[in-house]
Parts: sequence; C-alpha cells; structure tokens
Amino acid sequence: MNIAIGTVLLWALALELLRRLRRQDPARLVPVYARTRAMMVFMIPRIFVGLVGAGFLAALLPVDQIERFFGAESGVAGMGLATILGAVTPGGPFVAFAIGAAALKAGAGWAALMAYVTAWSVVNLNRSIAYELPLMGRRFLMIRALVSLPLPLVLGGIMLLV
Amino acid sequence: MQDKDTSAPGGSMPHKLIDGSFLFILAIAVVSGIAVYLLKGPETFWAIFRRDAGFAVFLLPKILAGVLIASALPFLLPRERVLRLVGPESGVRGLAIATAAGAIFPGGPSVTYPLTIGLMAAGADLGAGVALVSGWVLVGLNRTLIWELSFLPPEFVALRVALSLPAPIVFGLVVRHLMAKGRA
Repeated sequence: MNIAIGTVLLWALALELLRRLRRQDPARLVPVYARTRAMMVFMIPRIFVGLVGAGFLAALLPVDQIERFFGAESGVAGMGLATILGAVTPGGPFVAFAIGAAALKAGAGWAALMAYVTAWSVVNLNRSIAYELPLMGRRFLMIRALVSLPLPLVLGGIMLLV
Repeated sequence: MQDKDTSAPGGSMPHKLIDGSFLFILAIAVVSGIAVYLLKGPETFWAIFRRDAGFAVFLLPKILAGVLIASALPFLLPRERVLRLVGPESGVRGLAIATAAGAIFPGGPSVTYPLTIGLMAAGADLGAGVALVSGWVLVGLNRTLIWELSFLPPEFVALRVALSLPAPIVFGLVVRHLMAKGRA
C-alpha cells in the first residue's frame, strides 16, 4: 500500500516535470528519454540480482535470534555488538524496528538500541548489496560507509552518558 | 602517471553495463543461492527467488518514475543553480539542503539513489550526495513516521532524530575535506 502511494506521487511528479520540459522545448525530451532508457538498462539487472542475492544472504543469517544477542551485556561491548547486528540485519524497516522493539521488551537499554537502529540506518549490508554498491559504485559506498561508521557508537555513547 | 580511471568526478552517469560492483553482487547472489539450495532445500530457494524477483518486478513502475525524474532534473535545473545550491562551494547551507531533500523525498532506495545520481550529474558534489543519502537513511520522514513510530517509543524516536539531524551535514563536510586533501 505504502509502495502504491509512493508510486502514484512519483508518477505525478515525473509527469509534471516532463510536461514542463515539453512546454519549454519538445526537443529536450529526446535526451531525457535516452538517459532514462540507459539508466533503466543499467538498473534492472542490478536491482534484480541485488534483491535476490540479498534475499538468499538473509536466509542464511539467523535473523529470528538477533534480539537474543542484545541481552544484559550493556556498556561499550553491548553497543559494539548492537552496531554489528544492526549492520547485518537484513530486510526492510519492518524487520529492523520489530527486532528493536523485541529487544527493548527483552530488556535492552536505549544505548544499545540507539547503536542498533543507527547502524542499521547508515551501514546496512543488505541495502549496500541490493542497491548502493551496484547503483552508486564502490567509491561512493566506501566513502559514505567510512565517514558514517563512527556514528552508531557516538550516538550510543551519548545515551550511556545521559 | 597512468590514469585509466575514466569516471567523471563524483560519478555522473553509469557507463559500463557490467562492472566490478555488478560482478561482486552477482557472485554473492550465486554463492548464497547455492548455499540456500543445499542447506535449506530447493523449496526455500524457489520461494525466496519468487518473492524477491517478484518484488523487483513490483518495484519497476516506481523505479521508472524515479529514473524519469532523475533524468529530467539535469535538463530542468540550470547547472549554475544546482552548483550554487548543492555544488562543491555550497557550504553548510548546501549540505543542509541536500539533507532535507533526502529526508523529505519519498520512494525508498530504488528512487533515492537514481535521484542522487541525477543531482550529481546536474552539479551536486560528492559531499552533497553523501549528505542526501545520509539524510534519507537517518531521518527519512516516510520511514520514521510510518515504520519507526509504529514499533519504538516516541521519546526514543524523537531523541534519535534530534541526535542524528546534524550527522549528514558533518558527513558531507568530512567528505569535502577528504576530497580537498586528496585533490590538492
């Protein structure tokens, strides 16, 4: 449902942009369509292989046991573990937030939860394989991951202090 | 100096259909696919294949709309304007604009990445590209409002968003600093 609404919104925006372009100069639509075609040819095999590969990889990871690892082990070690778990948690937001909620119920602290959700957001293995690496390339992914990596520990650390 | 790297600064348009990144994800898909087939059985293998291949097909209309937007943007936005807004010299303000764009724009990864490619082709620098993607993954409105608030306590979500808000801008500044050092 969410996807359907997003798709309708995006199509409305896309058609409006194309209408404007055509009013300015219909000839400008030609390179836009050529660019769109080139990009779709580039993206379709990547999205297909990326999604299926991430799906297989996710099946090999014991997702249903992730919240067990949060446990009582808190402090810096717990945050480090939560960061790794966040990075490898596969699936969409539904999975990660459900695991976070389950961990909270099982007694996880806010520091570990903060590190977990933040790591899942910024250095997400699943999303990197399914989308970012194939679409943006290795350089973009490596630089973004490099500068983002400290954030889960920094935010978790702030939670430990307050 | 032999410089065989032909990619444009910041990476603008995809050039090669089959590159190292594609081969890498292909290898992951094949190896983990074989592992699933052997360890979990053919039924699980085909169930996952059908589910995710079906999802990819389901995404196609959305991807097409996103790619049309990303392709049209460089033609609608004059390069000088994009450069001024989110170019290498756009400062903290440019990074804040890129962060906000990432946070507000709906559509998820299949749309946000093409949009980033489109904006970078139109003049945005790598710092702004990183800020845009970071704004989306850290404080994306759609995900926070629809998903996170449904599962986690609102006080936690508010605190996480408040603490995360400066991060995309800091990331962008660090990337620009690294680029300046690497290119100087």
